[in-house]
Amino acid sequence: MKREVLSKSVLAAALLALLVWGGIPLYRHRHFDLPIVEGPGVSGVVRLSAYSPGLRGTTADTSVFVLRGKEPGGKAMLLGDTHANEPEGLLATLIFIENAVVDKGTLYIIPVFNNSASRNTRPGDGYPLYFEVPTAWGAVKFRMGNRDASPLDQWPDPDVYIHYPDRQLLSFIDVRNVNRTWPGRAGGPLMERVTFGAMEIMRRERVDVAVDMHGAETMFPVTNCIVAPEKSVKIATLAALTVKAGEGFEDHVEPSPAGFRGLSHREIGDYSDTLPFLLEAPIPFLDQPTGPKTTKLLMDGKDPFLLSLAAKKKLFVPYDASGWSMERRVGQHCSVVLEILRQFSRKNPDKAITVRGVPRYADIVKNGVGHYFVDPAQADARKVVRN
Amino acid sequence: MTLVMIASYVITAFLLALLAANFVREKKSRDDLVLYLLVMIPLILRLLRVK
Repeated sequence: MKREVLSKSVLAAALLALLVWGGIPLYRHRHFDLPIVEGPGVSGVVRLSAYSPGLRGTTADTSVFVLRGKEPGGKAMLLGDTHANEPEGLLATLIFIENAVVDKGTLYIIPVFNNSASRNTRPGDGYPLYFEVPTAWGAVKFRMGNRDASPLDQWPDPDVYIHYPDRQLLSFIDVRNVNRTWPGRAGGPLMERVTFGAMEIMRRERVDVAVDMHGAETMFPVTNCIVAPEKSVKIATLAALTVKAGEGFEDHVEPSPAGFRGLSHREIGDYSDTLPFLLEAPIPFLDQPTGPKTTKLLMDGKDPFLLSLAAKKKLFVPYDASGWSMERRVGQHCSVVLEILRQFSRKNPDKAITVRGVPRYADIVKNGVGHYFVDPAQADARKVVRN
Repeated sequence: MTLVMIASYVITAFLLALLAANFVREKKSRDDLVLYLLVMIPLILRLLRVK
C-alpha cells in the first residue's frame, strides 16, 4: 500500500512538472503584451469594439490607431497581423504608427488585426513563441502568432464553414481565419465580429483605401504581389510599376478572384465603397520544405532547401543565398503602401492623403526595421499602448 | 462564453474526474497509470485556459 502511494505520488509529481514546464511558457505567451509607442502623427487610439460591440471583453478586441491630418482629405486603413504568423505586416504598421505624420487625410491603423491568433501558436510545426528585432537600444520582443484564432477564444469549429453572406463552403479551420470571414456580421462567430468592426469603420468613416499586409510562401503562386479587385486594379498597377522603376523591386499585380469569398481584397470592395488591396511579401519561413522553423529563418529568410528548389525553378520568386530578409519584406510593404496612397491621391486630388516620415524600401534595407522603432522605456508612459 | 463552450468545459472536467478516479483505483499496471496521466495533460491545459 505504502509503495503504491509512493509510486502514484511520484507519477503525479512528474505530471505536475510537465504541466508547469510546458504550460507556463504558453500562458506567458498568451498574456504577453506588446508596447506600441504613439508616434507624432497619432491623434487617438480606440478599440475595435467601439465599432463591433460583440468584441467587448474578448481577446479578439484590439487597438485602432487614428492618425488625423491637419487638413481634411481621403482616409485609409492599414491592417497588420491578419495572419499573425506573417509578421511583416505587423512591423510595417508599427513603423507607420511610430513615425508617420499625416499632413492631409486620415489613417486608421490596426497593427494586430487578429489579436487572438497573435496569442496562439503552432506547436506541431515547431514555431517559436517569440521573435526579436534588434534596435540601437536593445532587442524588441514580439509574439509569434498563428494563422488562425485560438480555440480558447472561438470554439467549436464547424464541419464546414459556411461563409456569410455568400454561403460558399470553406474549410472548417477558416472559421477562425479573419481573411475568410469578411465582411463579417455583428452577432456571428468571433472572427466575423472582428471583420465586421473593420467594415463598420470603413462604412461609417467613409474610408477610401484599405491595405491588408501579408506574407506568402515562395512556393505559392500568389506571392510578391498586390492582390486587387477590378475597382482597385488601376491604382495597384501604377503602384507596382512605380516601385519597380523607382525603387528596383518587383511586386506584380494579381486579380482578386470573384468566386473565392471571404477575403479582404474581395469582400471589402464588394460590401463598401472602399478600394481594397492585399500585399503579399515572400516569407520563406512559411514554406513547407525548409529546415527548422527558427527565428533566424524568420528574420533572414535563408534556407538551403529553398536554395536547391530555386535552382530547379520550383519557386515563384527569385531566390539566392541572400535569402529574403525581414527588412526587404517590411520595406516592400512600406513603399507599396506609400505608393498606393500617392497614386490614389493623384487620381482623387480632392481626397488626397499625404503622409511623411515613413521610410521606404531602400532606407529599411539599409538601416534595419528596428531603426524606426521608439524605445517605450524612454517614451511618455501615457503614449504607450499595450496590445 | 457560448453555451456550447461552457458545455465543453463541463465535459472536460467530467472526463478529468473519471481519469483521476481510475488513476486512484488502478492497482496493478504502471503503464495504465502513466497513460491516465498523459491523457489528462491536454484536458488540464484546456480547463486552465492555457492551450
